[in-house]
Amino acid sequence: MSRKGIKYLLLLGLVALLTILPLIPGALNTKWMTTITFATYFAIFVLGWDILCGYTGQISFGHSFFVGASGYTSALLSLYFKWPIWATIPCGVLASLALGLLLSVPALRLRGPYFSLITLIMPLIAIKLVLIFSSITGGELGKSNIPAIPTPVPPCPSDAGPDVCRALFIQYQQYQYYYALGLMALVAIALLIISTSRIGKILEAIRDNEEAVEAAGINTAKFKILAFGISSFVVGLGGAFYVHYLETVLPQEVLSPTRSTEIIIASVLGGMGTIIGPLFGAYAVRLGQEGLREAANHIPALQFLNDWALFIFLALLIVLIFVARQGVLPALVGAPYLRKLKKFRKLGQQSVASKEVS
Amino acid sequence: MRILDVQHLQKSFGGLMAVKDLSFHVDQGEILGLIGPNGAGKTTVFNLIMGVLKPDSGTIRFKEKEITSWPTYQIVNAGVARVFQIARYFKHKNVYENIEISTIPNEVFAFKDAAHLHEKVMTCCECTGLCTCHEHTGHCNCCTQLPGMLPQGALRRLEVARAIGTDPDLLLLDEPFAGLSPQEVDEISHLITQLRQEGQTIVLIDHNMRGLMRLVDRVVVLCFGEKLMEGSPQEVSENPRVQEAYLAGGRV
Ligand SMILES: Nc1ncnc2c1ncn2[C@@H]1O[C@H](COP(=O)(O)OP(=O)(O)OP(=O)(O)O)[C@@H](O)[C@H]1O
Ligand SMILES: [Mg+2]
Repeated sequence: MSRKGIKYLLLLGLVALLTILPLIPGALNTKWMTTITFATYFAIFVLGWDILCGYTGQISFGHSFFVGASGYTSALLSLYFKWPIWATIPCGVLASLALGLLLSVPALRLRGPYFSLITLIMPLIAIKLVLIFSSITGGELGKSNIPAIPTPVPPCPSDAGPDVCRALFIQYQQYQYYYALGLMALVAIALLIISTSRIGKILEAIRDNEEAVEAAGINTAKFKILAFGISSFVVGLGGAFYVHYLETVLPQEVLSPTRSTEIIIASVLGGMGTIIGPLFGAYAVRLGQEGLREAANHIPALQFLNDWALFIFLALLIVLIFVARQGVLPALVGAPYLRKLKKFRKLGQQSVASKEVS
Repeated sequence: MRILDVQHLQKSFGGLMAVKDLSFHVDQGEILGLIGPNGAGKTTVFNLIMGVLKPDSGTIRFKEKEITSWPTYQIVNAGVARVFQIARYFKHKNVYENIEISTIPNEVFAFKDAAHLHEKVMTCCECTGLCTCHEHTGHCNCCTQLPGMLPQGALRRLEVARAIGTDPDLLLLDEPFAGLSPQEVDEISHLITQLRQEGQTIVLIDHNMRGLMRLVDRVVVLCFGEKLMEGSPQEVSENPRVQEAYLAGGRV
C-alpha cells in the first residue's frame, strides 16, 4: 500500500476508535472524556504546526500565539459585544490568519535561529499585552463566562435531583467531545489532502533545497506564505473553538510557552512533516501525561509519580527522540522503508567518496 | 534569431570585478561554449542570467524581453533552465519525485491533469537516458531510487532531466563533465548532441576546449571577468592570446 494510503487508513482508524469509545458503556468516565476532548483540541494545534513547520522545515517555537490571538478575539467579542459564537469564531480565525500572514513577511527574510527567535517572542508580547489591558482581558486571571458552544442538552432544572443533573452533564460533555472530534477530523482530512497534493510536495522540496525549487520555476515565497496562512488558519480555528469549550480564556492556557513547546514535542515525537504522525503524537503526549498522573493517584506504590510525572515523561521523550529521530510513528510504520533509505544513502556517499578519490 | 542577448554586463563582489563589461548573444538552436580558467566568472554569468545575482549594470534580454533582475522562478518560467555545477537535487525525494517538482506548475490551484504531468516526468526520464521505461505499463526502472545512490553520470542525467522538466527554450549547463569518468563524459556528450538535434539551444561551460570542440558551434572565452575573444572552436583554440590566458591562469 502506498504511504498516502497508510496515512488515510491510520486517520480513519483513529477517528473510528475515538467515535466508538464513548459509546462503549464504562469505557470512558467523564474525566477521561474531557481529557480526550482537550487532547483533540491540542491535536488540531499540532496539525496546524506540522503543515508549516514540519513541511517547510522552519520551526516555530511560539504557535500558542495563534491559539491565543484567535481565542482572545472570539472570547472578548462574544463577551463584550454579545455576538453569537458563529460570528465571533470566524473573527478569531481571521485575526489569527492575518497575524500569520504578517509573520510570514519576516519569515521570508530571516533564516534559522532568527526566525525561531521571532516566533519565540510573539506569544511573550501577547501575554504582556493581555496583562497591560487587564481591565478588558482580565489579566492573569483571565475571563470566565465565555459563551459555550451550544448543545441541544438543556440546562439542569433547579428542582431536579443530582442524578438528573449528572446525566445531563455527561450528555453535555459527550456533545463537546464529538464537536472537537468532528473539527479535528475535518482539519486532519483537509491537511492530509493538502500535504499529499502538489502543494505538500513543493513544501517538502523547499525544506530539502529551496534554491532548487526556485530553479524549478516555483515561487517559493508564495508557497511559504500559503503554508503560513493554512497553519495560522487551522490553529486559529482550533483556538477559537477551544476557548468556547473551556468557557474561559486564560493567558497560561492559550498563550503559554509550555503549550508551544508541547506542540513541538508532539510533532517531533510523532514524526514531523507527515501530518498523521504529529496527530498521534498529540494524543500520546496528552493522554500519556494524564495516564501517569492517574496511575500516581490510584496506585500507592506509584505515588512518587505525582512529583516525578513530568520529569519521567520528558526523560522518556528525550530517549525516544534519540532512538527514533524521524519520529516514533514513521519508525514503526516505515521501518523497512527507512532502513533501505539509510542503506541507499550510505551507498551514495561511498560512490561519491570513491569518485573523489579516483 | 537571438534568443539571449547580454549587453555590457557588470558584476563585482567587493573589490573583485567578477564580470566586466561582458556582451555576447546566443542564437536559436546553437550550442555556445563559455570557457575560461578557474575563477574567470563563468558561473557568475549564469547566476546573473538566472536572477540569482543582480548585475551592477548591463542588460539581459531573453526572447526580446528584458529579464534583468527578474526573480529566478520567473526567468525559469520564461524558458531558461540551468544545471548547477554542483548537483542540487532533493536528497529525500526519489528520482521520480525529483523530476516531478520541475513539472509542477507554479500555481496554488493547478487543474492540469495528473496524467499529463506523469507523462512529462517519464519523457524527461527517458530522453535523458536516466531510465528505460516500459512502453505499455509506463513503469520506469529507476524511478524509486534516491539520488544519493546514483553514480555520478546518472546524477548528472538527473540534473539535466530536472532542467528539461521545466520545458526550457534555453538550457545552461555548468561544467557537465566535471568529475566524470571518460566513459561517462562520452555518454553526457552524446546526450548533449541528442538534445541539440531535438532543437534545444544550449550554453555550455567548461574549463577548457578539449571536451567542447566537437560539441559547440561558437565559443566565448572569459578571462578575469572579461571577454577575451569569440569565434569558432578552431579559431579560439589556435589563438595565442587564449593559450596565454590559460597559462597565466595556471591551467592549460
Ligand atoms: N557570491 C560570491 N561572493 C563573492 N565572490 C564570489 C561569489 N561568487 C563568485 N565569486 C568570485 O568571483 C570570481 C568568479 O567566480 P566564478 O564562480 O564565476 O568562476 P568560474 O569561472 O565559474 O570558476 P570555476 O571554473 O572554478 O567554476 C571568483 O574569484 C569567485 O571567488
Ligand atoms: Mg564555475
